[in-house]
This record gives sequence, C-alpha cells and structure tokens, in this order.
Amino acid sequence: MANIKEREVIYGLYNDEEDLLRAVKSARQDHMEIYDVFTPFPVHGLDPAMGLEESRLHIAGFIFGTIGALTAFLGMTWVFVKDWPNIFGGKPYWSVPAFIPITFEMTVLFAAVGMTVSFYIINGQGPGVVNKTLDDRITDDKFCIAFDKADVDADRAEAFFKNTGAVEINSKTI
Amino acid sequence: MNQYSMTSSQRNFLFGAMGIGVICMILTWMIDDELHTRFWSNLLLNSTFFTLISVMALFFMAASITAYAGWYVTFKRIIEAFSLFMVVGLVLLIIIGLGNYFHWHHLYHWTDTADVATDQVLLGKSSFLNANWYMFGTIIFGGAWAYLAYKIRDLSVSEDDDGADVDRTFKYHNKIRVYAAILLPLIGFASAAMIWQWIMSVDAHWYSTMFAWYTSASAFVAMLALAILLVIFLKSRGYFELVNENHIHDLGKYLFAFSIFWTYLWFSQFMLIWYANIGEETIYFKERYNNYATLFFANIAINFLVPFIILMRNDTKRKVGTMTFVAIVVLLGHWLDFFLMIKPGTLITANHAMGVETEAVQGFVSGFTVPSLLDLGTFIGFLGLFVYVSLWIMSKAALTPKNDPYLEESVHHHVV
Repeated sequence: MANIKEREVIYGLYNDEEDLLRAVKSARQDHMEIYDVFTPFPVHGLDPAMGLEESRLHIAGFIFGTIGALTAFLGMTWVFVKDWPNIFGGKPYWSVPAFIPITFEMTVLFAAVGMTVSFYIINGQGPGVVNKTLDDRITDDKFCIAFDKADVDADRAEAFFKNTGAVEINSKTI
Repeated sequence: MNQYSMTSSQRNFLFGAMGIGVICMILTWMIDDELHTRFWSNLLLNSTFFTLISVMALFFMAASITAYAGWYVTFKRIIEAFSLFMVVGLVLLIIIGLGNYFHWHHLYHWTDTADVATDQVLLGKSSFLNANWYMFGTIIFGGAWAYLAYKIRDLSVSEDDDGADVDRTFKYHNKIRVYAAILLPLIGFASAAMIWQWIMSVDAHWYSTMFAWYTSASAFVAMLALAILLVIFLKSRGYFELVNENHIHDLGKYLFAFSIFWTYLWFSQFMLIWYANIGEETIYFKERYNNYATLFFANIAINFLVPFIILMRNDTKRKVGTMTFVAIVVLLGHWLDFFLMIKPGTLITANHAMGVETEAVQGFVSGFTVPSLLDLGTFIGFLGLFVYVSLWIMSKAALTPKNDPYLEESVHHHVV
C-alpha cells in the first residue's frame, strides 16, 4: 500500500528462539523500542516479553456472533410468524426449538467470517497485497528483531545485536 | 508440601457432613411413604451421581494418557483419587441391585413381575431390564472399572517409589498406557449400558438414544467442577506448589467446553423428541414440563448460561474467585440435572405400585418437585463421603508424581 511511509530498519537474525526471547527481554529492559519481531513459528511467551496487549479480536468476534444470532433468530421469527406463516408438523408459528440450530450456525458463521475479515483489514492484508519481507529466511529457520532507525540509534542497535548473540545484522528500507 | 495429611479439623468437617447426610437419610426414612420412595430415590440419585463422577474421572485419565496429554500431571493424584471412589460407588449400587431381588425398594417398574407379565413394552425389554442383568452389569463392568482404576493408581505410585527410572524405559508408564487403552472402550460402551440400567430404566417405558451421552456429559462436568474445587482448596492450604493459573485455566476451558457439550446433548435430545412428537417419547418432557417446571428451566439456566457467560472471557478462567463460583454452581446444577432424571420416574412408579392414580398427583410433592432440606442434606452427606475418600486416598502417596514422564511438560505448561 502506497500510503504507508517507508522505514529505515535495522534488524538482527538469531538462530534460536531462546536467544530471541532473551534479546527481546533485554531490549525491553534497555528501553529500546522494537519495531517488530519475526519468527517462523509462534514462540511461547513472546507476546508478554514484547509487552503486547491482549488482542481485542475476540471482542469483535463476540459482537459479530451476537449480530449473527439476532439476524438468524429475528429473521426466522419475521419470516415464519409475520411474513409467511406456515404450520409445520402441527407446531406453532413461533417454534423456538426449531430455530435454535440455525441461530447457532449463523452465530458461528458471522463470528468466523467477521473475525477473519477484521483480522485482514486490521493488518492491511487481503487479496492482491504484496508483503514486504525483511529477509526470506525468517519464514524458514531464522528469528528476527527489527528496530526502526528513527526510534533507535543504529550504532546502539548494532551493539545490542552483537551482545545478544545475533548471527547477522542488516539494514533495509521497507 | 508434597505429602498431604488430613488435619483433624478437615476430618471433623467431613465427618460432620457425613453425619448430616446420615441424619437426613434417617429422617427421610421416617417421614416417608410406605415404600420409602424418597429415601431410596435419594440413595439412587447420589450413588449414581458420585459413581458416574468417578467413572468420568477414570475416563478423563484414560483419554489423557492415551492422547499423550501431559498438562494435568501436576494434579493427577486428584483424578486418580476420584476414580478410586468407584469402589465405594460399587458397594452402594450393589445394595440397590440387591434391593431389586428382595424388593427392598420400588425404584424400577421393571422389577414388578406381575406388571411386566401383562405389559407388552416391559415384556419386550425384560431380557435387558431384569435384576440379574442389573447385578451382572454393575459387578462386572463396575468391578472392571474399579479394578483398572486401582491398577493405574498402583502403577502410578510404584513409578514414584521405585526410584528414578534411570534407563528411561518408562516401564510403569507403558503399562499404564495399556490399561488406559483397555479402559477407553470399556468405559465408552459399558457406561452407556450401565446408565440405561441405573438411571434411564427409572422411566421403564421410555428410552432415548441420546440419554447415555447426556448423562455422561453431566457427570463429566460435575467431575471437573469437583476437581477444580479440590485443586483450589488444596492449593490454598499450601499443597500443589507446581499447579498454577495455567492449569486452572485449562480446567476452566474443559468446564466451559463440556458445559456447552452438555447443552448440545440436552438440546439435541429435547429437540428431536419435540419435533417427532411421538407420544411415548414426549411423555418424558411433558411430565417434567408440567410438574417440574422450576427445575426444568433452572437446569438449563444454571448449567448452560452461568458457565457460558462467566467463563467466556480469558481472565475469568484464570482467577480463583470466578472459577470457585462457577464450579460450585455447576456442581449443584448437575446434581439437580440428575435429580430431574431420577425423581419424576420413581414417583410415578411408586404411585402406581401404591395404587394412586398418576393423574391425581399434581402440584407440590415434598422431596420430588424441588429438592428440600432433607434431600440437600443427603447430598451434602454423600459429597462429604466422596471428598473424604478422595482425600484419604491422596494422603497415601506424594501429591507430585515425581517420576511421571510428563511432569516436566506439566510444570512448564503455559496457555497464554
């Protein structure tokens, strides 16, 4: 996306997730603001080490689910009670138990689709978006910490990477 | 503290609870009708409730072992202790089974030979619903569960006592795995047959293919609630240093998930019967809807809405206060669920045997329509017995299984 400003990034690559976790913790202790951390797989304890807040995606999920439940239930109520009342198997028009499975399914559908779409929008992802990557190997076997040069002095970052056992230090504009 | 020993105040408290139970049962016997329906139905209710809790504890353990689950190992002594209550449960159910032969009680319509001979439905079921099968199933299947629970517990304790398994052959654990694998089908299939015998045959003419699942789910949730309460209690007394909020969190997830599973089964059973609208099936819900409406609706509210709403968030599952509250509510709720399964059928059977027209029985019946103090007191007595037996078994071995191969995994268990 063109409107995102370009960043000068300095990043270090680590061979092991334990090294990465220690480095993230010491960066936090030194009050160095981390631009982002990239790992090939989810690393346990990384979110609290980076000081990330709990995701609010599940709140969106709850709201979408509620909307789905209401849509299904009120929709069926309107159709079968007001718009086109029919008697099925001698049951009353407003036969709540028969509505429950569809209400449940619509809740799941709305929550799942809503959360997926929200997730993509929040992260600027979607069909046709080309992701800029710092290094191809962070999707394979390398663990990466990146600093924005606007936030952290390049020399300081370099010294930090050397101290914490990074195997490679690079700069890149993304 | 790694070795639990019961303090005298805890022992006194639990014996007090059992005393209340005994007094309530004696009082119930004294004010009862001529068949002592209320006494016997309370005995059946609490025996099956706590026995099935121990069966489900055994199932939880067998499933976890077979699935290579390690997270529960720090508190697995609780689950083992629960599963060994099966021995006590077996005695209680054998008493009820003997009652079928000697007509001590009139809980099951199918024990009435004169009625069975003239009743086509009961006659058709009589090859399964008879005193011999009841006794055979209870002793063989219940005995097998109790034996395997004992074996697994025994091996698990030997694993600790036999010194560290230096060559890492896991010989005890491998044996436990074999027993767990045997247990899974044995509980999966046989528990259904025993639930039909013990509980569903109270409504002798009625049947539902969902019933065994639904009852198992109910007992499973109750087992989790009791495990959570006991973990929290023992942790507050300084035991279980290795159990932290991550284990409580996962127990909470189990409680949440299985409460929804229970609701799913309850609703499936209800909706299919409601939709098909066949008289011999709807009679079950008609009876409960008309004469037990309070419990009927309270059942869903307590067992679905409370855990669903409270445990939906992440942080409520990690806090002792909310977890204790939900566990207590849900434990009582599932006891009420069992109450609602057993009481209406026994009342109808007893009234029929005493020559009272069923249609004439309306309104409030003490000890049946809602649980009154005597019924709750009996429940407290059995709860005290269950907790006492569990704690007594736990006091026989170290609380942390130090040689369990999954201990490290459990110690480092993180969920967030």
